[in-house]
Amino acid sequence: MENNPIPVIEVKGVRKSYANGAEVCALDDVDLTIGHGQRVAIMGQSGSGKSTLLNLICGLDVPTKGQVLFEGRDLATMSDDDRTRIRRVKMGMIFQTFNLLPTLTGVENVALPLRLNGVALREANEKALAMIEKVGITKRAHHRPDEMSGGERQRIAIARALIFDPPVLLADEPTGNLDSHTGEDILSLLESVHSEFGTTILLVTHNEHAAEHCERRVTLLDGKIVADETDTSRTANVSSV
Amino acid sequence: MTGVLTQITSRQWRIHYTRLILTIVGIALGVAVFFAIQTTNVTLVNALGGTIEKLAGRATLQVTGGDTGFSEDYLKTVRATPGVALSEPVTETMATLAMPEGEKIVVLGLDTTSDLKLYSDMFDEKGLEVKNPLAFTSKADSIAVSRKFADRYGLKDGDKLPLRTQAGTQEFTVRAIFRSAGAGDVFDGNVAVVDVYASQELFGKKGRFDRIDVMNSPNVTVDDLKQRIRAEMPAGITVERPERRSEGLENTVSSMHLGLTVMSFLAFTVCAFLVFNSFAISVNQRWKEIGVLRAIGVTRGGIQRMFLTEAAIVGVVGSIVGVGIGFMLAEAAIGVVLNVSLTVYGAAASPGALEFNYGFAVEAIVAGVVVSLLAAWLPSRAGARLDPIAALHDIETRTSKDVANLPRLAAGVVLLAAGLLLTTFSTPTVGLNIQLFYTLLIQAGMILLLPKFIEWGSRALRPLMNYFFGVEGLIAVETLIKAPRRTASTVGALMIGLAFVYSTGAYIISQKAAIDGELDRSLDVDILVTSSQQLQTTSNHFSAVTAASVMSLPEVAIADTLRISSVNYGGEKVSLLAHDMKSYFAMSPNLLEEGDRQAAESKTAEGKGVLISKNLAYRGNLRMGDTVKINSPTGTLELPVVGMLSYSRSEKGTIFIDKGVFQKYWNDTDVDDILIDLRPGTDPVQFKQRVQAAIGGEQDAFIYTHDEFKKWVDGLIDQFFALFYLQMVIAIFVAALGLVNTMVISVDERRRELGIFRAIGGLRRQVMKMVLLEAVAISLIGLAAGAITGLFNAYFLVHTAARVVAGFSVELIFPYTMVLTAVPFVIVVAVGAAFLPAMKAARTNVVEAVGYE
Repeated sequence: MENNPIPVIEVKGVRKSYANGAEVCALDDVDLTIGHGQRVAIMGQSGSGKSTLLNLICGLDVPTKGQVLFEGRDLATMSDDDRTRIRRVKMGMIFQTFNLLPTLTGVENVALPLRLNGVALREANEKALAMIEKVGITKRAHHRPDEMSGGERQRIAIARALIFDPPVLLADEPTGNLDSHTGEDILSLLESVHSEFGTTILLVTHNEHAAEHCERRVTLLDGKIVADETDTSRTANVSSV
Repeated sequence: MTGVLTQITSRQWRIHYTRLILTIVGIALGVAVFFAIQTTNVTLVNALGGTIEKLAGRATLQVTGGDTGFSEDYLKTVRATPGVALSEPVTETMATLAMPEGEKIVVLGLDTTSDLKLYSDMFDEKGLEVKNPLAFTSKADSIAVSRKFADRYGLKDGDKLPLRTQAGTQEFTVRAIFRSAGAGDVFDGNVAVVDVYASQELFGKKGRFDRIDVMNSPNVTVDDLKQRIRAEMPAGITVERPERRSEGLENTVSSMHLGLTVMSFLAFTVCAFLVFNSFAISVNQRWKEIGVLRAIGVTRGGIQRMFLTEAAIVGVVGSIVGVGIGFMLAEAAIGVVLNVSLTVYGAAASPGALEFNYGFAVEAIVAGVVVSLLAAWLPSRAGARLDPIAALHDIETRTSKDVANLPRLAAGVVLLAAGLLLTTFSTPTVGLNIQLFYTLLIQAGMILLLPKFIEWGSRALRPLMNYFFGVEGLIAVETLIKAPRRTASTVGALMIGLAFVYSTGAYIISQKAAIDGELDRSLDVDILVTSSQQLQTTSNHFSAVTAASVMSLPEVAIADTLRISSVNYGGEKVSLLAHDMKSYFAMSPNLLEEGDRQAAESKTAEGKGVLISKNLAYRGNLRMGDTVKINSPTGTLELPVVGMLSYSRSEKGTIFIDKGVFQKYWNDTDVDDILIDLRPGTDPVQFKQRVQAAIGGEQDAFIYTHDEFKKWVDGLIDQFFALFYLQMVIAIFVAALGLVNTMVISVDERRRELGIFRAIGGLRRQVMKMVLLEAVAISLIGLAAGAITGLFNAYFLVHTAARVVAGFSVELIFPYTMVLTAVPFVIVVAVGAAFLPAMKAARTNVVEAVGYE
């Protein structure tokens, strides 16, 4: 797999700038190709452009210049609805602040993307419960987010992200709000998701330890990629799983 | 610290200016209704009092004998009483100009041979223009008019002035013009003076005066003189200072004022809820800000003061604006109120300029601020009690409190039950202020139960929304179920506003239905001929001769005459109706609700008993067989109650006697209404023409079929409730404002939530559809909650408020048609209110929204 990766995401000459008074350039001439099944850590200090890159990749934002291709299709040329459908079905998103809907229970949060896709309530809930079981949090399935710990909430968020069995999982500082022990659990969970489903994982983090769970590490500084390293030992490790 | 906190609040106003404006408008409208009603009432009372006092001239006492007047023989008695310096007999008639304009003019019958010193304001030498004093006093057709009136109609000495009188149209000759001052200034100068003895003939007051104006000698006090005259008069004749008479009139229209006050109180509760709602939302919006402030050392008290200061400022601004709007409303309403006063109560008043009463303005502003502070108190307390750590923590902690918890529900049930039980069983003696508290209990109970109600409503709507609108509909109602706190604000705003509208509507419909039923029972006749378009009047009666000419028409199968008057009973002015009881019973087979029909008929016809209305029985604690003491101008009657019926002509009560008794004791043979049952096969339309011909077209006569009369009464009721309708419109407006307010804020508040929704794959149109469907669901639940609360409030109004105001409760008829009619309207308002927020929600910048704080 590592010798001939199929590019699932291609970022070509992307520039993203914001005109907020003076023009601020968040990303400048970024090229990045990510193959299926890769685990890529995107690292950098605050303000380096990590989250901007992630937002462009998931189609929440469009580049000022350049292209972001998902499975060979330029996201910027798609309609908002098409980008949204890709995000719903083909990309799972995990956030630092979990972003669960506070009024819904765990299972309802997980079932939500299914229901947005027109899946019947009962079927959606059944699938959601099965996914919750996979992330190991069945006992909290019917609790609301405020009744869960941070780790539990993030597991629910991961279950929601995986509900369509997406080829790509985008995680923005998924351990940023968790203690080290819980954070480790979540990283292990992502690792097992990767090994079980072969999911491509993009992990935005400034945590060195979290990055160690990925075989590829892309470092951003002031909106530019300054390093793109692959740990072949971890790649071998992964492929052996 | 307060300064800094106020600065922080003012920044919030800049951001959430829509909420601020809508809150101010809400308070303004509540205050406006309150101020308008107080101002209208005081203007009416001042107008009534001012008219009486001006007409009294310099008199210090007035001798009166009710609506019918009294025998002219009493003039001698008064004049013979030691201590009387001046005394003038007066007749007072509201006549109509026999001209196309048909304007009303008050015609005073005065003794033109006297020097009229009591009315020197009008008749001082400088102001009085009379070319031939001898002709003025000696010729029966002489009339004097005020300068204003003469100028308005271009009248000069010798001009003719035709007036409609009981004796037909009479042509008077202007022989004097007096100053438009004192009595000459009432009714905007529409005043004329004729000789008192001529007026007796013309206006059917033969041998009677309406009053005697008296001035005491300097050596006798007014009170002493009052006692002396009183001692010489029968009980049915009153001797009062003019200002006390105006108090009596104020009492007459007090029911109308009381009813409006009750409604303005309910309007205030709508306003209070809007403020409560707005502050509850504000606390929610400023959750994180409160956490930060608490973290950096602001005390709980400081947080609460911050919100209460905001409430006070908003309350002051809203109230000041409200007073301004209220004054404009009062200007629009005073004409209606004066007309109701004349038509329903027979109390005529000169429409004076609306006075801006600073006392009421201050009262209204204080009330507005207090209501604003009270309404903001609970939300501000909730803000102050916020756990700062939780507040600083992420957004998921914000809905941790279960608003549909058991203690809350229990408290809701208890308050609701207490309100309803007190409404049903409490005695009227506790007073209106306490009784108004019952409706507050009911509304507070409903507000506490609202989250549960929303849950039930949402569950009921769930399958429908799923069937018609698919997943977005389902998610929309589930959002309601899951977020009852947020939803409660919007549903509550609708509930309170609609409850007000429905309860007012129910009250009016119930009153109309009750009166309709009464008319069917007590006025079950084919044709009704009335002498006036007022329910009660001291002018415009048919003479016995005119009545007889109508009743002798061959198409008449059976006829009854009715003389409408009033007497003082238990300190209140109650209606006195004199019927030909035999005919009346014959024409109204279902007249009585209590008492034996046959016995009642024979007793009343023989003058040995009276019928009374049930509200009089309630007010006077009278039972069947009790003796009613009626003071007439010739003596006191004591008659047993032989029958009771529901009859709401007068809120104070009604006594029915036989016309023979009335003619004997009141010395009055006039007729106000003629009740006719026609022979079978008679065409009512043709008969109406025959009646007009019999009356000669000279005198005002209004001829109705039974249905036409009911329609006229219906119109009168609408006129009576005109201000209530105005309040309903305002309540709808306030409810719509509340809806817009909460929908705008709700979407704003859920920006992050909607961002997440979009982030995980929700399409723009799905977001928009969801928000709009949520608004529809909210509006339907609000409508149902409003209907239920409205039903409870209506029960309070027809059962308790109606008893306090009018002495009778009426059967509750709930306006289901109005509820159903409101469905599309409310949905349109809700969708309209939610449309822009929904567009905004669909266009949410997802990146910003998910990182939004």
